[in-house]
Amino acid sequence: MADNTYDAIVIGSGISGGWAAKELCEKGLKVLMLERGAEHKHIEDYNTAKKMPWEFEHRGNTTLQQKKDYPVIHRGWAASERVMDAWANEKDAPYTEVKPFTWWRVYRMGGRSVLWGRHSYRWSDLDFEANAKDGFGVDWPIRYKNIAPWYDHVEKFAGISGSLEGLPYLPDGQFLPPVPLNLVEKDVAAKIKKFYKGERHLINSRVANLTVPHNERTNCQFRNRCWEGCPFGGYFSTQSSTLPAAMKTNNLTVRPLSLVTKILYDKDKKKATGVEVMDTIDHKTYEYKAKIVFVCASALNSTWLLFNSATDIWPGGLGSSSGELGHNVMDHHYNLGASGDIEGYEDKTEYGRRPAGFYITRFANIPGDKKRNFVRGFGYQGGAGRQGWGRTVAELNIGSAFKEALTEPGSWRIGAGGFGEILPYHENKISLDHTVKDKWGLPVLSMDAELKENELKMRKDIKEELAAMLDAGGAKNIQTHDSGHAMGHGIHEMGTARMGLDPKTSVLNGNNQVWDALNVFVTDGACMTSSSCVNPSLTYMALTARAADFAVSELKKGNI
Amino acid sequence: MVAVLTGGAVIGGELFLSGCKTGAKADAGFSASTVSLLDEVSETIIPATTTPGAKAAQVGEFMKVMVTDCYTEKQQAAFMKGIEALDEACNKMHGKSFMECSADQRHDLLISLEKEAKEFNEKRNETDKPLREEHEKKNSTLAWKDQTEFEGSPNHYYTMMKQLTLLGFFTSKTGMTETLRHIAVPGKYDGAFPYAKGDKAWAE
Repeated sequence: MADNTYDAIVIGSGISGGWAAKELCEKGLKVLMLERGAEHKHIEDYNTAKKMPWEFEHRGNTTLQQKKDYPVIHRGWAASERVMDAWANEKDAPYTEVKPFTWWRVYRMGGRSVLWGRHSYRWSDLDFEANAKDGFGVDWPIRYKNIAPWYDHVEKFAGISGSLEGLPYLPDGQFLPPVPLNLVEKDVAAKIKKFYKGERHLINSRVANLTVPHNERTNCQFRNRCWEGCPFGGYFSTQSSTLPAAMKTNNLTVRPLSLVTKILYDKDKKKATGVEVMDTIDHKTYEYKAKIVFVCASALNSTWLLFNSATDIWPGGLGSSSGELGHNVMDHHYNLGASGDIEGYEDKTEYGRRPAGFYITRFANIPGDKKRNFVRGFGYQGGAGRQGWGRTVAELNIGSAFKEALTEPGSWRIGAGGFGEILPYHENKISLDHTVKDKWGLPVLSMDAELKENELKMRKDIKEELAAMLDAGGAKNIQTHDSGHAMGHGIHEMGTARMGLDPKTSVLNGNNQVWDALNVFVTDGACMTSSSCVNPSLTYMALTARAADFAVSELKKGNI
Repeated sequence: MVAVLTGGAVIGGELFLSGCKTGAKADAGFSASTVSLLDEVSETIIPATTTPGAKAAQVGEFMKVMVTDCYTEKQQAAFMKGIEALDEACNKMHGKSFMECSADQRHDLLISLEKEAKEFNEKRNETDKPLREEHEKKNSTLAWKDQTEFEGSPNHYYTMMKQLTLLGFFTSKTGMTETLRHIAVPGKYDGAFPYAKGDKAWAE
């Protein structure tokens, strides 16, 4: 085997890339994993995670200079002194916004797997059949039964903690014990269940945090500092989980600082032959060859790569024959919710800092629900806790008594935020902007996508339903908030290279193969045909493992 | 979500996420005596009791860092002018500078500044309201890319000092471990942990 030839190339080292590398390596393939960012070693490089909170000079706040350098990150909560090193340099890697698009990127080994929200929910056929039933987008080429064994497979390895609920539209999985609810949340859950006659469910969040030791990894230590990287390896990330598994096979080569610029295409064989890579430091290009290529560069960058792999035959990019490449951008819309005070329970507090609180499962537009003026649904993530020193104290402003009052915890407060499904609209799209070049001389992405009527109507219900549920749960002084949602802000970018049944209307087939180049697999968020309302990463894991299994069997059969 | 419900995010959030369009000066002009004065102001807000106060938490130095690195030019100017204004108000009330005053005199001054700041901020909100509306109106005629964030007039200087005092103290080592309680690695979660009146709150 020549130096630059492998069985498989995996582009990207985030959640999907990590899974692709692990599965392909474990099946005996020699794999090259390419990551555009620098090395970020498990534990060793989690520099801030080992600091005490008071050791941060600005106590978590960012500086004016950082606000200037990272304007997109400062559009929301991602701007924290603790994780500013994680975010992609916005000057080096700009993008164009035809309409507002918040794109939070991590160009570093492990990608966003280190910073992800870790909520992990299975889809059900309510999701896989949604497009076919209401006519938005095209039908998924798969159903729950096709992916269920792969959910089992990835959950067993990743370690997902959760409670068995027996809900038809949020299937149970291979769970570790759940992260507990606190006593207030349990009581609110019971009141909601009673009020809505068993039709609404406030359950334990299902998260990729280990509640018990799992696969030689330490369990969660309840510090709630996950996004700095866990020094205990207490949650699933590329670094803690898939990368060590892949390395163990001795089949993996990792090349950081390697920006894949092109998938090389042989028009006679109608297959990819490998990739062109630019070293991000010296800007020299290299070619690597492989039998199969897994594109896992994160949804929009995977499609950027397909765009930039244009040839005479496919001037719109590899996989562009259907005219759908770059279209149907989705996300989950959020930045809205409600909170309220809970009286009593003053003889109890919490011990430990949970990495997640509760989840309220979808109830809108499921069989038995009332008629609504929008399609699809939404869920909520939230928590209850006692108020801290930031609260106001009646009658006291300064001095010893004021200090003493703040020394004790305040009353309980409960709050949650909604996550709503965004429909796949053809006109919500990304494209290449050749007038703007990044640091490496490459054209950048242009984003042209927005929420439409269905999402905006849904937002009204998200807020009102939550306020009503908190009221039913016994909360007082309920306040709702809605700060609007720009596309991308959910950090759940999906679509732009969707799977489908028909090469005329989709970019990928039911096994994540590019219709126009069957040895190229796209298995990250780009492949999504619809968005559901649950966090998507677990589904990327399952789709990636499924596609890797299929790819290896096709290789063995000589089909690709 | 839980972070939003507990202390830390509240004060930092409203203050520091406000629009910042201009760069800070390299040095906002803090001298050693300014830092000492701010130490004493913070100590008056959060004094040493059975546990150390804001001065022991070096809140004066913290204010210097935050104002220099994180405040907009407008906010910086208001803060620096406020240091002089505080001494002027003190002279007016007690006939001497803040540093020369007793703890009780300092306390009385800050109580009066609490009231002054509240009125000032309310009035500022009123004055800013038409400006904000005008700004939003202008924004609505512009393409979204040309729209700018409205930067209102800064808070009363005392409000800034108090916010920085609370943030600086309750996120300091002594604030988190002596006035509040902190466990770096809890190791487990208990959602019904017994609490008796007088027990300290968790620092995070």
